[in-house]
Amino acid sequence: MKQITLTGGNTSFTCEDDDTILRAALRAGLAFPYECNVGSCGNCRFELVEGEVEHERKDSPAYTERDKQRKRWLGCQANPHSDCTIKVTLRDHYKPLILPKKTQGKLTEILDHTHDIREFRFTLSEPVKFIPGQYALLSVPGVEGARAYSMGNITTDGKEWHFQIKKVPNGAATGALFDRIKVGETIGLDGPYGMAYLREDAPRDILCLAGGSGLSPMVSISRGWAASKKLKGRHLHFIYGGRAARDICGEPMLRELRGFGTELHYHPAISMPDPDAPDAWPGLTGFVHDIAGNMFGDKLRDMEIYFAGPPAMAEAVMRLVVEKKIPPSQVHYDQFY
Amino acid sequence: MSERIELCKTSDVDEGTAIKVETGDLALAVFNLNGAFYVIDDLCTHGPGSLSEGPICGDVVECDFHNGSFNIKTGEVVDPPCMIPVKTYVTKVENDSVFIEV
Repeated sequence: MKQITLTGGNTSFTCEDDDTILRAALRAGLAFPYECNVGSCGNCRFELVEGEVEHERKDSPAYTERDKQRKRWLGCQANPHSDCTIKVTLRDHYKPLILPKKTQGKLTEILDHTHDIREFRFTLSEPVKFIPGQYALLSVPGVEGARAYSMGNITTDGKEWHFQIKKVPNGAATGALFDRIKVGETIGLDGPYGMAYLREDAPRDILCLAGGSGLSPMVSISRGWAASKKLKGRHLHFIYGGRAARDICGEPMLRELRGFGTELHYHPAISMPDPDAPDAWPGLTGFVHDIAGNMFGDKLRDMEIYFAGPPAMAEAVMRLVVEKKIPPSQVHYDQFY
Repeated sequence: MSERIELCKTSDVDEGTAIKVETGDLALAVFNLNGAFYVIDDLCTHGPGSLSEGPICGDVVECDFHNGSFNIKTGEVVDPPCMIPVKTYVTKVENDSVFIEV
């Protein structure tokens, strides 16, 4: 156990030897900036003033030569090897509403949503609650390093965490989850993390945009909306994008929620219709950001927008946010890249 | 009616540098470019970077978190990954003090 002290104040917290400085700070309730938690985004950079740390993930994409020169490290990857003094600016936005914890999850059920999206349901050894839209770190036996996946369910007691996960071609973690891990086996879970959670106090209709693996958090947000008394009367639009008809999913889960078709509006869309069978897909075609722009135009400024999907989609949605002058405070997503 | 807020003395900010000033709910970066003063939000629009700590080149400040950059005078994005312009403030200098109008 190491003691981590922040410069310029009386703030300090303890960090277990196998934990990282960011995660230990969040477990202590501190508003340490971060996003991805897996070394990719660089938002958790801090300056090491005194002490010794080592990165868990030696090839963290966000870690640069400049960081090395300036004695900066990534909070999400830094294991302390001694007591440390660090410099970082805490920002309220990152304050955890539920403190993340390490726990174990026993795989109880596997469901198929599409040819490459599967739901893995875990029962936790120690219940931990989360807010709809948040994510967790999964440590899969035999796979080096933790992976971040968003929960797709909602919970009142924190006993169950479900993840809808898209198989990555040649991916080590999804390969192990899809092909090796069996019902009854146990994996390591750590969470909840992330700021792209449902804002029940936001007095606006909701727009959820999802592509591929972005399904899971947007389904959780939709379920949270349906269960929320505060959001009664607010409409929710869910645009789900895939390349082809076989990628489209989500409707059976949304159909179970209150107001489907009247207050909850599901708009599936494909971006690559089959040129040989143009009539095979009767629905919308195009990218989710274009569909959202065409469907709502300037009304997007009056919506609370949640989105999750591959990097190209996130960038396109952010361009839409700028172009339509949507207040950034109404836009919620995890900066995983 | 706009409100005037005094941020600092002109002598607090050396030429070609910036300081961070917190007042009320605002966290601001005050720049001195060739003796003229400019004020923008200190928080980068992309991540948790502090723009007052970024290197300045001409009219441009680079966020040292992700190397995105902004025009200090207009707030416009110069380099990605930043996409959203940073807020600028109407800035006045009177009796060696830097003010903004909000």
